[in-house]
Amino acid sequence: MLKTTISPIFSSFTGKPRTSRFIFKAFKVVLQDAPPSARRNASTNLTTLHQGPPTSAYVHLPFCRKRCHYCDFPILALGTSSSSSTKPSYVYEEGKEDDPRITNYVNLLVREIKATSTDFDARPSLETVFFGGGTPSLVPPKLVSLVLETLSSSFGLSPDAEISMEMDPGTFGAQKLKELMELGVNRVSLGVQAFQDELLKACGRAHGVSEVYEAIKLVKDCGVKNWSMDLISSLPHQSLDMWEESLRLAIESQPNHVSVYDLQVEQGTKFGNLYTPGQSPLPSETQSAEFYKTASSMLRGAGYEHYEVSSYSRDGFKCRHNLIYWKNKPFYAFGLGSASYVGGLRFSRPRRLKEYTSYVADLEKGAANWCGNGDVNLKDVATDIIMLSFRTSKGLEVKDFGEAFGSEVVKSICRVYEPYVESGHIVCLDDMRREVLSGEFKTLVANDEVKIEDHVRYLRLSDPDGFLLSNELISLAFNVIAS
Amino acid sequence: MGSMYRASKTLKSSRQAFSFLFNSLKSNRRDPLCIGLYQTYDFSSDSRQSSREPAIDLTQFPSEKIRNFSIIAHIDHGKSTLADRLMELTGTIKKGLGQPQYLDKLQVERERGITVKAQTATMFYENIVKDQEASGFLLNLIDTPGHVDFSYEVSRSLSACQGALLVVDAAQGVQAQTVANFYLAFESNLTIVPVINKIDQPTADPDRVKAQLKSMFDLDTDDCLLVSAKTGLGLEHVLPAVIERIPPPSGLSDSPLRMLLFDSFFNEYKGVICYVSVVDGMLSKGDKVSFAASGQSYEVLDVGIMHPELTSTGMLLTGQVGYIVTGMRTTKEARIGDTIYRTKTTVEPLPGFKPVRHMVFSGVYPADGSDFDALDHAMEKLTCNDASVSVAKETSTALGMGFRCGFLGLLHMDVFHQRLEQEYGTQVISTIPTVPYTFEYSDGSKLQVQNPAALPSSPKYRVTASWEPTVIATIILPSEFVGGVINLCSDRRGQQLEYTFIDAQRVFLKYQLPLREIVVDFYDELKSITSGYASFDYEDAEYQKSDLVKVDILLNGQAVDALASIVHSQKAYRVGKVLVEKLKSFIDRQMFEVMIQAAIGSKIIARDTISAMRKNVLAKCYGGDITRKKKLLEKQKEGKKRMKRVGSVDIPHEAFQQILKVS
Ligand SMILES: Nc1nc2c(ncn2[C@@H]2O[C@H](COP(=O)(O)OP(=O)(O)OP(=O)(O)O)[C@@H](O)[C@H]2O)c(=O)[nH]1
Ligand SMILES: [Mg+2]
Repeated sequence: MLKTTISPIFSSFTGKPRTSRFIFKAFKVVLQDAPPSARRNASTNLTTLHQGPPTSAYVHLPFCRKRCHYCDFPILALGTSSSSSTKPSYVYEEGKEDDPRITNYVNLLVREIKATSTDFDARPSLETVFFGGGTPSLVPPKLVSLVLETLSSSFGLSPDAEISMEMDPGTFGAQKLKELMELGVNRVSLGVQAFQDELLKACGRAHGVSEVYEAIKLVKDCGVKNWSMDLISSLPHQSLDMWEESLRLAIESQPNHVSVYDLQVEQGTKFGNLYTPGQSPLPSETQSAEFYKTASSMLRGAGYEHYEVSSYSRDGFKCRHNLIYWKNKPFYAFGLGSASYVGGLRFSRPRRLKEYTSYVADLEKGAANWCGNGDVNLKDVATDIIMLSFRTSKGLEVKDFGEAFGSEVVKSICRVYEPYVESGHIVCLDDMRREVLSGEFKTLVANDEVKIEDHVRYLRLSDPDGFLLSNELISLAFNVIAS
Repeated sequence: MGSMYRASKTLKSSRQAFSFLFNSLKSNRRDPLCIGLYQTYDFSSDSRQSSREPAIDLTQFPSEKIRNFSIIAHIDHGKSTLADRLMELTGTIKKGLGQPQYLDKLQVERERGITVKAQTATMFYENIVKDQEASGFLLNLIDTPGHVDFSYEVSRSLSACQGALLVVDAAQGVQAQTVANFYLAFESNLTIVPVINKIDQPTADPDRVKAQLKSMFDLDTDDCLLVSAKTGLGLEHVLPAVIERIPPPSGLSDSPLRMLLFDSFFNEYKGVICYVSVVDGMLSKGDKVSFAASGQSYEVLDVGIMHPELTSTGMLLTGQVGYIVTGMRTTKEARIGDTIYRTKTTVEPLPGFKPVRHMVFSGVYPADGSDFDALDHAMEKLTCNDASVSVAKETSTALGMGFRCGFLGLLHMDVFHQRLEQEYGTQVISTIPTVPYTFEYSDGSKLQVQNPAALPSSPKYRVTASWEPTVIATIILPSEFVGGVINLCSDRRGQQLEYTFIDAQRVFLKYQLPLREIVVDFYDELKSITSGYASFDYEDAEYQKSDLVKVDILLNGQAVDALASIVHSQKAYRVGKVLVEKLKSFIDRQMFEVMIQAAIGSKIIARDTISAMRKNVLAKCYGGDITRKKKLLEKQKEGKKRMKRVGSVDIPHEAFQQILKVS
């Protein structure tokens, strides 16, 4: 039953409606059958959401003083600068940062942006730009300015665009921060991670707690209203006391946004070689679940809204850029190893500088493609939406989902989720975001006549129990989509 | 495609065999006078064979020129290797071509290095030892399996023979299946030719083996052939001994046709192939034949010999062994042991075979619940080539629709599963194997149980008696391990029947044991106690009264039918405890706490809990890069596919079969 109703819906169609034409042109190949255009489905639906022109851009600035022990991102470690021998290497000194490696990289990045020409009918300006890394704050403001100018001339930059930058304590001073703000950077994401020197050291962070306090003071003194603090839980040797202290100090410093990440021990990292998840000195599964719950209750208690698995915000200071991800909307990405989502296709740039350099050259020659190849598979779109929506407190919009992928799929997902609604891992909400109780939900699911979407508007994971088991719960829905 | 290749290979080897046989004639192959080589008929059943190719003339081989023999032995004593050498010697297969153990054709056989299915090969041999004038013999060799599970294959093969080569490993000496197979041949009045094999081994001790054969079977030490199937040493004496000692088949050539159907299999292109041994009379292509048991009649579309591949001959004569193709659609119409005769004649039916007795039963379910149709199809096909499995549909609340299958033993069960997977690409879950029990209730009714789930946990009437099947087990072992083995047998509720010395170092034990106790891990235990030096064989014996109970396994209070088992009451607590422990090790933490219980009726005899999973959280999707997290989720999803959901508890497929290791 399910199979037959799903299969016609989950067929694939050729993606990148607008951009592919450009690429074909570049190859001087006559495009025979024009793929369906975004205009055909004028009413934007979940299945076509990603078809439109992106209004967000992620820019990767990969430089770091050194690699942190848990990090497996594409970064370029600059090492200790010999000129500042009197002070510890991580102490920031104004004006000593004209590293040719940075200049060369930014030039390459600018070439990449310029070589990215799109063919969308509409050309809306960028609404969000996110400088991630690496440690973007290591890049001199004049180079950041160059990137922003390039983005602006290529895509347009909305006057009230959110421009975020990740900054690490000890990598910027007041002057640099002011310059950056003048350039338009209006959101700072401060990589604090912990408030204990021994933990910062054990992670291989290039700063200590005193730099953290300095940085917080700088951000506040410079009048950055929209700033976020990053913290990491489940670090080796981290105790619940330490974690509570970090959370307390974070709250005291009053950021408008806090991101809490649970340490992932990745293969090939120093931590990956040293430690096994769940085993000492890393906290046990139960302990790290406790850390997560503590963060949720302390931050919520302090007036933060837990709007996404690892994000908390006050007074509506959600990260607009990240919301684009969770809504499965398209975004550009530029720079080493960055991943874009345009025309329904996810595409990752080379992670090594050498390959990235030749990629940019190819792009300029028209010999490479900047948004990926292949067909958009609707099953993938459906699973992306499930996985991303469930990260948010808003949850999955069941109604939109049903319209896009069929009511039967919604029913099947609900059937699978029934025990978890009963156990409280999943919360059902109606149009007014009032909770639909598990007894009622059960009756709805059991009744074949009922269209669930008429009664349940959202499904969301509960906070913290559902969020804690999100992998488990999401993969259950994946199973439904796959069958 | 495979058969095309085989067809051409067959022709080559048959031609070669004949040039060897009749090389003195040196005549043109197309010369109609050239015996054995002229075209007797066209190969209509196999259009690939060109009509210009030579055929085999079986009229050259009256009964006195025929010898039918099986090769029997304990596991691994070298039956299939010896068969290779004999086929090479007679030019039936080319030396150095093809794989070793040529007749082990199934993938399972090749992978496990064992013979599972008996295979027949017809060979032509010019005996120059005794006969003055060149005179060809037709020899039918049947290679048999050595493992106890397949001993019915041995009995069937013996019924088509007048003699047997009893192969014994020169280093290992007489082992349990040597004894069992010797008696099978002896009781069928076959001439036994003892062959001591592997004399090339440094530890070979042929004299000791000769003495064992003498003391145990009263076989004459002078009659033993000493060979190495590996090096070929002594091999030249084997076929002359076969010809001299084994009598030709004694059927009556001028009586009406009577054939024994001793095996069958399904061929994709030709349909059902029946292996027959012609007892009396003769058969030609185009004849109409009837099957006594099924009452069906067919026209013989093709007839021939296994040389070693199917080779048409147009006829089969008295005493010969070969195949017939009748256009039969399923092997169910071909009942093994049936008598085939010429339609419209009346003959006395042959004795046939004892029906196979299924020792263990287990459920076979599609690993993916929705795939029942695929499994159904595969079962249908495979049972066509393995008639020794019994199959009945059943349903489990935990596993959905499936089959209850009866097997000859655990190896047979394993082989069956492997073949389902390899030959038909079906993934299955099999449930804990059980032996068949009988229960009697206070109202006098009796219940035969092949599936523990079918035994009510709280019956309406009280159980007044229960019976379980037993076996008579033969164990041969070095005397220093006797103590440990006797302990093992009494722990398994065995009763000693015999304890004798074969020679100074080896002991022969006979025990009556409940079948249940030996079915799963008895042999493994035995091997570990005796450092692998014991051999073991059994035959079925009668049912015995026994105090049996059903142990249910409950997950969060819900009984899982596919995990129920029936055990002796004294062992119930131990089994319950081990089952719960085992299951705990197989089931991962779930989103809820899982309580595992073992119960007899409403009485809980063991329990444990699996605490709830605490954290399984999505990590950061840095810079919007969700690909890696998605892969992780996909992997997790795939993991769920290998699970069966009972209530809200995910049980991995392996759990259903792995916990059988508990006894
Ligand atoms: N050294 C030595 N090894 C041999 C000889 N004959 C067979 N073998 C080896 O013994 C092993 C078993 O040989 P098989 O021919 O498969 O034995 P089998 O009796 O057919 O075994 P089952 O069919 O499983 O009962 C193989 O590894 C052979 O190579 C021999 O004469 N000398
Ligand atoms: Mg063999």
